[in-house]
Amino acid sequence: MTFTIKHAEQLSRGELLLRSFFGWLYIFVPHGFVLLFVGLWGGILAFISFWVILFTGRYPQSFFEYQVGLINWEVRLNARLYNMEDGYPAFGINAKDDAVSVEIPYPETLSRGLLLVKLFFGFIYVLIPHGFVLFFLSIAFVVCWFIGWWAILFTGKLPLGFHTFMTGYLRWSTRVRIYIQNMTDTYPPFSLD
Amino acid sequence: MEYYPLPQPAEIPEREKEDAMGAYLMMFAAVAIGLPLPIINLIAAIIYYYINRKKSRFIHFHSLQSLLSQIPTTVINWGLVIWSVGILLRENWKLTPEFWGYAIFAGTSTLLYFVFSLIAAYKARQGRMYYFLFFGKVAYEAAYKMVPEKPGESSEPANKPPF
Repeated sequence: MTFTIKHAEQLSRGELLLRSFFGWLYIFVPHGFVLLFVGLWGGILAFISFWVILFTGRYPQSFFEYQVGLINWEVRLNARLYNMEDGYPAFGINAKDDAVSVEIPYPETLSRGLLLVKLFFGFIYVLIPHGFVLFFLSIAFVVCWFIGWWAILFTGKLPLGFHTFMTGYLRWSTRVRIYIQNMTDTYPPFSLD
Repeated sequence: MEYYPLPQPAEIPEREKEDAMGAYLMMFAAVAIGLPLPIINLIAAIIYYYINRKKSRFIHFHSLQSLLSQIPTTVINWGLVIWSVGILLRENWKLTPEFWGYAIFAGTSTLLYFVFSLIAAYKARQGRMYYFLFFGKVAYEAAYKMVPEKPGESSEPANKPPF
């Protein structure tokens, strides 16, 4: 999986303030409303995909591409909400973004045994260990978000270290998500890279 | 009346077979979102049909057949839901033999629908046609029938060069 959010050389202070005070209104509400339904459809496809994988060993390719599009959309939105990028995130499953890209290779076959292991024991061997680490990382993430906000306000840029860490955190949580959603058989590494 | 030729299993890409199979699996949509309302499956089937119908005739046929076959099941199950709510509100769960008769009828219809849909999903995954009673013919007509040109509508281009 490749997960990239380009580091912006310069971020607009005006956009930062606009996003901070009115972002909920013009970014979060419209995107959230549409994503509620798009996500619901994604949930239905994910549920059906589970059974398809169980019987055929394959994730239906159209369903897979939909999920990848949905993840891209959410990351595109998050990159703006966390002030990592300027600009308005595009609507749509097939929309492209120059700054944000998540690519997940389509697996030709998936293990049915592992599918059942994830179903019955995924909570123990994926969600608990990764959730534990991600919980502490999320605290650091919020601190970076807060300090980063001030850094952008005064310098017009998000420090590269902050950007790298925040991208790494989002990458990590996305890797856990795609593993749990049966989009890959590769266990997510405990790494920000 | 002319029809487009039916594709044979070997000619249909794997992706199309999967998309055709997916149409029948929309019957699990209500279970997926945890709302046991019959209308959810129908809505999911309608959305699926409109998203996928232009991908190919094979997918068009299967997604339309799935959608059409879901309508009677939805109506029957809605009848059961409304009757049950009525009993709950007005008669304090006093179940009549008529209600049991209808409930068994609804359960049997749903079970039959599930079984036939699973068979159809399996056949679609193999790249094969599978016709339900009545709905199969309607879906076939909609997907494979050649539409004759309307009078005045010609395949010749309307704009031509001067020489």
